[in-house]
Order: sequence, then structure tokens, then C-alpha cells
Amino acid sequence: MTLILDKISLVIDRQPILEQISFQLSVGQSLVVLGNSGAGKSKLLEVVAGLRRNQGGKLSYAGQDLGPLSPQERKIGFVFQDYALFPNMTAEANILFGLQARRALLAEQKKWLKAVAVELKIEHLLKRFPAELSGGQQQRVALARCMVLRPEVLLLDEPLSALDAASRERLALLIKKIQKKYNVTMLYVTHDHNEARYMGDQVLVLDQGKVVQMGPPEEIFLRPVSRFVAHFTATRNILPGRIIEHRAGGKALVEVAGTQLISTSFPVPGGDVWVCLRPEYLNLFEVLDGALDNRISGYQIVQIIAQSGVTVLLELMQQGQRLLVFASNREIEQKKLRVGVEVELNVAAKQVHCLPRQAEDIYCRPES
Amino acid sequence: MKISAFSALMMLVILMAGLFFGSPFAALLHSFAGSDSLSSLLNKQVLVVVGTSLITALLATALAAVVGTVLGYHFTYRKKAGGRWLKTFFSLPLVLPPSAAGYMLLLAFGRYGLIGGPLYQAFSLQLMFTTTALVMAQFFVITPLMMQAASSAFQQVPDSLVKASHSLGADEYTTFVKVLLPFSRPVLVAGVITAFARAIGEFGATMMVAGRLKTIPIMIYSKAMGGDAGVADGLSLLLVLLSFLVLMLVNLLGERRR
Repeated sequence: MTLILDKISLVIDRQPILEQISFQLSVGQSLVVLGNSGAGKSKLLEVVAGLRRNQGGKLSYAGQDLGPLSPQERKIGFVFQDYALFPNMTAEANILFGLQARRALLAEQKKWLKAVAVELKIEHLLKRFPAELSGGQQQRVALARCMVLRPEVLLLDEPLSALDAASRERLALLIKKIQKKYNVTMLYVTHDHNEARYMGDQVLVLDQGKVVQMGPPEEIFLRPVSRFVAHFTATRNILPGRIIEHRAGGKALVEVAGTQLISTSFPVPGGDVWVCLRPEYLNLFEVLDGALDNRISGYQIVQIIAQSGVTVLLELMQQGQRLLVFASNREIEQKKLRVGVEVELNVAAKQVHCLPRQAEDIYCRPES
Repeated sequence: MKISAFSALMMLVILMAGLFFGSPFAALLHSFAGSDSLSSLLNKQVLVVVGTSLITALLATALAAVVGTVLGYHFTYRKKAGGRWLKTFFSLPLVLPPSAAGYMLLLAFGRYGLIGGPLYQAFSLQLMFTTTALVMAQFFVITPLMMQAASSAFQQVPDSLVKASHSLGADEYTTFVKVLLPFSRPVLVAGVITAFARAIGEFGATMMVAGRLKTIPIMIYSKAMGGDAGVADGLSLLLVLLSFLVLMLVNLLGERRR
């Protein structure tokens, strides 16, 4: 029961939208497709759902070629960004729509409606029309409408992007729970790197219709293969550097930001590199990992930017070199961090990731 | 309060337009008040004409509602190569002079016409100069209107609703009936009302194919030319009131939709 995309290509109005997309997902696996708007993410889902015909490549599920099958014949559920609930129907009628279209027996309709309404905690909303529901409630109804058909593959197109932060969190947990419980294969599209990090077993980064990188979230976030991926996964510090020395034990000495750091993540033999330092792995004062520690001194706080309730982003400068670091509100209070205070940073060697510096990275926006 | 030259110019244009557009209505009311229109409207001949107009317009509207909706759906959702040409072709009656439309209908469906000829020879069936011809002429003129209303109605349906319907297993027919039609209903109804008003007021094409039959606009013309102002006044006022009502209804539907 594997979903296989083999060199899928899509062309619309002579413009290549998807180029040679290939991956496999076994039952119960989840893949997050991460990319900018216009990268082709939603179109990829539409191809899998059968709402668009791909011009090249082959799509199969459980050994069966999906190409000739209509959307109705595929065991695939689709949740849309704008919920796409039918406004003229109640939540209940929306949920039953698919079962009725498939001419399910009345008893079966009732049984499945009840089960899915309990599961998604929407029993009290069934008689309401979409306009009478909040965004989060509408998306839960949309999810119920999908799950009532017991799909084997679930496609979610930015399901959280239209919701407020609190609803987003609740629904994200619900989607993960449902996906695990029903062991459904999931393709989840988002442009939000935070969602990408936690919603899937695998992450696929899509740029202009091409797969740029695919792998487990930690690999994508900690070992990006290009400056584009690093930038897109919120590696806020992408600094020009140079590998100056190789050392035993798979280590390299890297010159960056006016200091020298040990790196154990350098998929390039040497020379000029981009050094990626994620702000969440730059530790203020604390010393971790003993011998592998890298100390970065002489940086001064120039700005404190509130992020969410518990996290604060610090902008540090040293001789025109800028670093962004996350700190907790507690750290700010305890260590009396204010603008003008000089801090010492520490980063583990495995968190100093080097990328080859190539001309192809020019189109990337520099960190602002 | 100082009025700018621009505001003054605008007001002047509006005033002139008001005078121009208002004067025919004022003249009609004036003429109506000074004649015995009400009593002359109640004679049998006039009532038959009003009945014929209503029945033919209703039939033509019903047909146009179905065909126009189907065409609007086709050109919105089933775009194929050459679709633009075909849509332009179906829209032609919108800009065609109605007399030319009527003449073309005669050429096609008249006793010696392209289609009418064989029909007459085979079944002695004569379409032109009958009530059917009135319906055909009105249908010919109003169907493009309905098609445009349906196209614009369907274009307003979010794409995701159609995709959701298909992904849930609904076929094209179910999606059309259960998703598209309910969502587009206000615009479609407005289209039907407008088409009806246009059908009942149709003159040029209907005149060409009517023969001795009369509809309200044809009667207004013949009575006005024959100097029978009473009937012409009454029927004109009837059409003015009907048109006003229709426009109010359409606007109301538009506001409700917003």
C-alpha cells in the first residue's frame, strides 16, 4: 500500500508547474511539502487527487496506476485551505455529501457521521451552517467530511493557514492524532516552516516546481543542502565563511563572523562556504557538549524583538557582523539582558553547518 | 459654501441627462392622464395581446433559462479549443440588430427557409407567423443574456467548492445540481428576471416573424402609428412599470448576495 509518484510533471498554459517529482510514501507515513506560494505545492496535491492530469510521469497507489482513475475512484481525501464547505448545507449535510454521492446506505451514513462527529468533537455543530461556524470549527467539519469516507490517503492544503494561533495549535494536534489513529498516509502542504518541522515524518522542499531537498525534518532543518532551503527553513544566520583546516574525527575549523568555529557538518571539502547557525542552537553563556563547544565572544545586544509568549529574538552585532539568537523571557530576566549588554555565545560543533557557496544561491534574499 | 468648477460641470451634466431621460416618462404620464387609457386597455383585443406577450415571454424565458445556463456552464467549466469563438457566436444576438435577427429567422424557418422549407414539405408544419415564431424570436434574443448571467454566476463559485465536490466522489451532474446551482441561484434568478423583461419588450425580431399576431410592443407601435394614443399610453406605462419592477428585483437580489 505505497503511494508512488514517479517523475510527475505538470504543464499549465505552456508553463512548467511541476518537474519530475518523485517520492514514495508507505501506509501511515506523512510527508510535508514545504514551499513558497507558486512553488507548485497545491497543484501537486491536485494531481494526486486526480483533479488535474499530469503530463508526464506515473502515479500509483498499492500497485494500481491512478492515472486513468477519476477523483471519485481514488481513495483520497482532500482538505482545502479555505475549508471549501458548501455554504448552502449544514455541517451534517456537508459531512454526508461524500457518502451520499457514493450512495452509502442510510444506516451506514448515520453510523459514520456519529463516529466522526464524536472523534472531531463537532456533535454540537452538526445543525449549523458554515457561516455560523468559526474558522477552526469549519476546518474540523471539513476534516470530518473527509474522514467519514475513510480515505487511505489524506491530502491537506495549508489547512491551518487561515486560522488564529490558538485554533492552529489545536487543529494541528487533532490532525496528527487522526492521522496516527487511522494510520492514513498523509500529504500535508504548507509554507510555514514551523508546521513543516512537526507535522510530518518527511519533509519535501519544493521550489519552482522542483524538489530541492527531501528527508526527515531534522535533516532538512539542520542539514539544508542549499542556501534556499536554509533560508526557507528559518536558518536566520547564514554567514559567509571559509573552511581553513580539517581535523581528525570528522571535524573542520571554519572561519566565520570574526571567529573560528569547529564544525562536524561540512558536506564540502573546503574553501568558501555559507555557515548556517540556527538561532535556537546559539546558547547564551551556557556551555554544552564539553570539548566540542564553540565560543563566540564580543557580540552586543542591539535589539530585543518579542516573538511569541515565551520566546524573544535578540539581534546581536559585532563590527558590522549580525547574529540573531533566540532566548526565553526567563533568560532575559535572569541574566538581565538589555540593549547594549555584551554576551558570550556557545554553539555545538554539530550545529555549525556549512554549505558550498555557489552562484545559484544568488537569487536568495539575504536575511533581513 | 463654494462649489468647484468640476462639481458645477458634473451637476450640469446630471441635470441635462435627467431632463433628457425624464422627459419621455413625463410625457407618457401626461398623455396617459389626459386620455381614457384605462378603459381602452380593458377591451378583448388588448387583453389577448397582453396574454400572448406574457405566455410567449414566459415560454421563451423558460427555454432560455435552461439553454443559457447550460451554455454558461459549458463555457465556464469545459473550456476547449475554439471555446472563445463559440462563445462569441452564441453572444451575437446581443449586438445584432433585432430586425436582422428576425430576418435571419425567417430565412431559416420560413416556409421556403433552409430548415422551415423541408419541414413544411414533409409535415406541412409552418413555424413563422405563429405563436411559436414569437417564442423563437424572443428565445433567440434573450438566450445570450441568460448565458452571460450564468457564466458570471458560475465564475463566482470558488474553485475549491467544485474541487471539494469532485474529491468527495460527486460526479459532474451532482456537483452541478448540489453545489453550483444553489451557490449561483441569486445571480441566475436575476438573469432569468432580466431575460423575461427583455423578452416581453422584444420588438424588432418579433415584428419580423409575427405576421398578423401582436405582442405588447408591436401593438404600441401600431396604435401609436394609427393615432390610438389611449392603448399606446396604457401599454407603454404597463411596460415601464414592469421594467421598473424587474430592475428593482434584480438590484435587491444583488444586494442580498453581497
